[in-house]
Amino acid sequence: MACMNEDGQWIVLMGLLVAVGLFFLALIINQSALVGQTTAEGVLEFPKNDIRDLRSEIFDYYDRYDDLTDSERQNNVEDIVRISLERMNAVVHFWNGTPEEITIHYNNGVTVYDETVYHY
Amino acid sequence: MVNDSGQLYTMEGIAAGLVMLLTAYLILSTTSIYTPGDTHIPDMQLEQLGSDVLAMMDTPDLEGGENQLVNFINAGDGNGFRESFLEYCNATTSGKPDTLHMSANVTYRGEDDQIKEHLLVGPDETWTGRESAVRVTRWVQLDQQSTRGDPYRSRAQAVLVEVLLWRA
Repeated sequence: MACMNEDGQWIVLMGLLVAVGLFFLALIINQSALVGQTTAEGVLEFPKNDIRDLRSEIFDYYDRYDDLTDSERQNNVEDIVRISLERMNAVVHFWNGTPEEITIHYNNGVTVYDETVYHY
Repeated sequence: MVNDSGQLYTMEGIAAGLVMLLTAYLILSTTSIYTPGDTHIPDMQLEQLGSDVLAMMDTPDLEGGENQLVNFINAGDGNGFRESFLEYCNATTSGKPDTLHMSANVTYRGEDDQIKEHLLVGPDETWTGRESAVRVTRWVQLDQQSTRGDPYRSRAQAVLVEVLLWRA
């Protein structure tokens, strides 16, 4: 290689840097398919809609609490508890101190939710 | 002064190293192919859409007004339920409507404390397409009603509507 012309090495070096830069940009584009995966999985795993729906159902039940007989009340609570366990994989327990003070417990093995709410 | 001859050889060596690393990376990553469906983003959107539609149908237009979802269940009107549900789901702000499909069943507590399922809307003859189906649910309160269609009992009860939703 004694006759090799060594002019223009800086140009070649800059060319190499640009090529490496482009390669890393391509890697970033390649990874962009992953954007939002963690978010989406977090949203799917957290039972937000289930809990909100359960709350509104329990409030619906207490709204008509005075119109129901004792056995109807018992049946309604039993419906919610047993169907939750069977179809929603969730342990649900709720009761009221006074008719307005409602305590709700929800546990689906991943998310636990407890609240005491005054519902008029 | 540092002798700067042989820079081209150094660069050539670095470039060759990068090419080898890139090759190894490409070969190792071909064992798993990552598609947008793996990110579950469309699943999340579909689940939210379905939940919203069920919540909307479970809400009366007026205070004390009629509840669309309860009416469909009481009447056992699977076709009506499917038509309204898909109409709400497939609506888009512009362009062609979406291509969502659904099936639905209602879970209730029958005699002897048995949890039973009633198929309200059967699945249609479509494939599920690229994306997986999602399940959305809604609790519904049924009033005491003796004329309610089979198979639910006439007592006041809570039932669970489950909808399987997919894009074809």
